[in-house]
Amino acid sequence: MALKGYLSFLIIAILFFAVGFGAGYFYMVNEYNKLNSEYLELKEEYNRLLTGNFTELQEAYNELLQNYTQLKSIIEEKKIKAAWIYVGPIGDYGWTHAHDVGRRICEATFPWLETAYAESVSEADVERYIDMFISEGYNVIFTTSFGFMTATIEAGEKHPDVIFFHCSGYMRRPNVGTYFAEFYQLYYLNGLMAGALTKTGKIGYIAAHPIPEVIRHINAFTLGVREVNPNATVYVRWLFKWYDPAGARAAAEALINEGCDVLAFTEDSPTVVEVGEEYTNKGKPVYTFAHYSPMYQYGKNSCVSGQLVHWEVIYLDILSKIYTGIYNSTNLENVDYWWMLREGAVELGCDYGMPINPKFVPILKSKFVIDPILGNVSVYDLVFIRLRQMSEDTVVFDPFTGPIYDQDGKLKIPPGVRASHDDLWNMMWFVQGVVGQIPG
Amino acid sequence: MVKIRIYVRRRVRTSLKVKIVSASLSTLAAVVAIVLMFHVLGVDPLYAFNRIYMASLGSYYGISETITKSIPLLLCGVGLAVAYKAKVWNIGAEGQLLMGAIVSGGLALFTPLPPQLAIPIIFLGGFIGGALWALIPAVLKAKFQVNEVITTLMMNYIAERILLYLVYGPWRGKEVWGFPFTSRIPSYARLPVVPGTRIHYPTLIIGLVSAVLLFFMLSRTTIGFKVRVIGESIRASNYAGIEYSKIVILVMIISGGLAGLAGAGEVAGIQHMLRKGISPGYGFTAIIVAWLGNLNPLLVIASSLLIASILVGGDAIQISIGLSSAFINLFNGTILIFLLLNYFLSEYEIIVRR
Repeated sequence: MALKGYLSFLIIAILFFAVGFGAGYFYMVNEYNKLNSEYLELKEEYNRLLTGNFTELQEAYNELLQNYTQLKSIIEEKKIKAAWIYVGPIGDYGWTHAHDVGRRICEATFPWLETAYAESVSEADVERYIDMFISEGYNVIFTTSFGFMTATIEAGEKHPDVIFFHCSGYMRRPNVGTYFAEFYQLYYLNGLMAGALTKTGKIGYIAAHPIPEVIRHINAFTLGVREVNPNATVYVRWLFKWYDPAGARAAAEALINEGCDVLAFTEDSPTVVEVGEEYTNKGKPVYTFAHYSPMYQYGKNSCVSGQLVHWEVIYLDILSKIYTGIYNSTNLENVDYWWMLREGAVELGCDYGMPINPKFVPILKSKFVIDPILGNVSVYDLVFIRLRQMSEDTVVFDPFTGPIYDQDGKLKIPPGVRASHDDLWNMMWFVQGVVGQIPG
Repeated sequence: MVKIRIYVRRRVRTSLKVKIVSASLSTLAAVVAIVLMFHVLGVDPLYAFNRIYMASLGSYYGISETITKSIPLLLCGVGLAVAYKAKVWNIGAEGQLLMGAIVSGGLALFTPLPPQLAIPIIFLGGFIGGALWALIPAVLKAKFQVNEVITTLMMNYIAERILLYLVYGPWRGKEVWGFPFTSRIPSYARLPVVPGTRIHYPTLIIGLVSAVLLFFMLSRTTIGFKVRVIGESIRASNYAGIEYSKIVILVMIISGGLAGLAGAGEVAGIQHMLRKGISPGYGFTAIIVAWLGNLNPLLVIASSLLIASILVGGDAIQISIGLSSAFINLFNGTILIFLLLNYFLSEYEIIVRR
């Protein structure tokens, strides 16, 4: 065998190298020629000015030039180049799409901002993407997946002058802050509606990963369901993926076969809403709650409400604070955005400005519950009262207020106590009413 | 009416001239295709080539990242080359890599290793993990003639699920706030790197040494001779009295073990923890690496570098050129197609007759 095939391989390698090198060379030559001709023109102009009797004019010109360069450098210095690194494709219509909407709004809002993004970046490659963005002159980096956390922190150590913001993590550094737009209040409100709409008393939840964020959302949703419908149960199916349309469809259909007639989910595509619409149009109503993006168009007859995000609210705040110097690469150690209804980072509904699909308003107005404080109140009114309570400056209501029991009936949050930020971040147990287990 | 017939015939022997012509033709065609693609998208092709070249081979950083990326491809690719040489179609390098990662990560995390011996033990564990995972389909094939394409492929998914179970379950770190990571492995269990880069050189050296050793095994030893005879014809090897089942098990242990070493290198050298996403499909990419290297372990060194440079250079498409990630797949796919074209042109001749 010896080195059979060696030659053609060597030839290919050399040719590839030659092409890359050649292209690079010609590009440089081109650039050089361009610059050179510009330089020659300038020189000619300069000589013309010198030979004439334009000393005064020349002095004025020099002064102007000096001012211009100074001004220009001030403006250049104040320019922020921000790069976003996404885990999914921007066309996912969920998580990554929502972040990219935020990025585009920032780009359109701030004239001093230049943005770029990289999508579908694998967790094994993120360090290289960060390094390359920085070598291209980007000085603010947003990484938007919990899987990017350690790489972001390590990059923060490696590039102490660059500002990083990591979405959904808990590790920070003087130049690495964290941020998150939290949904549990919305899931609770969705749960109130789901509890009123179910006829079978069985509600399905298609969940991405068994991590505290998702578990918290399932729990908040279930608390809402049980407040309206104390005997209803929530069945959970895990996908172990953020983006998995095929898996979401299979899980949704399995849950429907088990008798679930309302579905909520954490997955980055409108699949579950589409499945609900198909069944509803076939005469077997299955109602759904949209996740992350406005999915009303996929479920006009079946999508009740949902969770919408306004990442731009957080991004605009972060970037303007970096621009004005409030944030710099030494003071982010304790900067952690945990924004919800009050800050306007999240919105109730399956389309912007539409908290509840009008089709479901009459039925929600006709279902009544007895609340210890509010008395006999329709579910529709209850949703809006709670929404207002959680949107006010002092948040007077929180779904995670005790007494709250886990699946085994053990008291987890004592009566009258609100779960703390750390309780919510570490939540690895299900509330009463959830059917299913947390893997592991 | 004149009938034109086109025949495709395998060349008996490929002359140097044919090799040069086919390599030049396919490279030229690849370049033309890519230039056209960039042109259609309104990007200056010269600028694009410049950025891709700078990102992969044209800068110190690019070269270091290309080498880093080539390490797992080299280890998996060398092992697969030996297996394919013996006509054992191991598609399971990805799963074997993950099992190597699991065993070595488990050793680093949960056993009190003596610090001086930690790294050798981790590598040994990686090899054993990958080799044992490959042994299952190997035994099934050797004893029961079960098709190894199916079993090795399926076992990739099982390995991935085991990894998920561990990081979501019993191995989830205490201080990671419920995220699916293990704790970080202790610092004495981490591999040293070339300063200023991510090249974990112990793994690289293992890869290079095993490529050289396997080259000599294949070309100079009796076992290598047997492997080559099987590669030419399984029936002939039976007549020659070669025990096919033993060779199957041997090559699977080699290729599984080397993939496991790649996994150990990624855990101890890059990630420093177990988590999902340890490998963005290195075990699958290595299949192309092995074939591109003509199943010759020494050439696999070169082909792993070539593929790594294409993968790393592809990053520039998003970052510097600003095209979408789908274009990276287009770019990589186009280059691979034309590399295959070269293989076809140099191995086959096309005859047109009237």
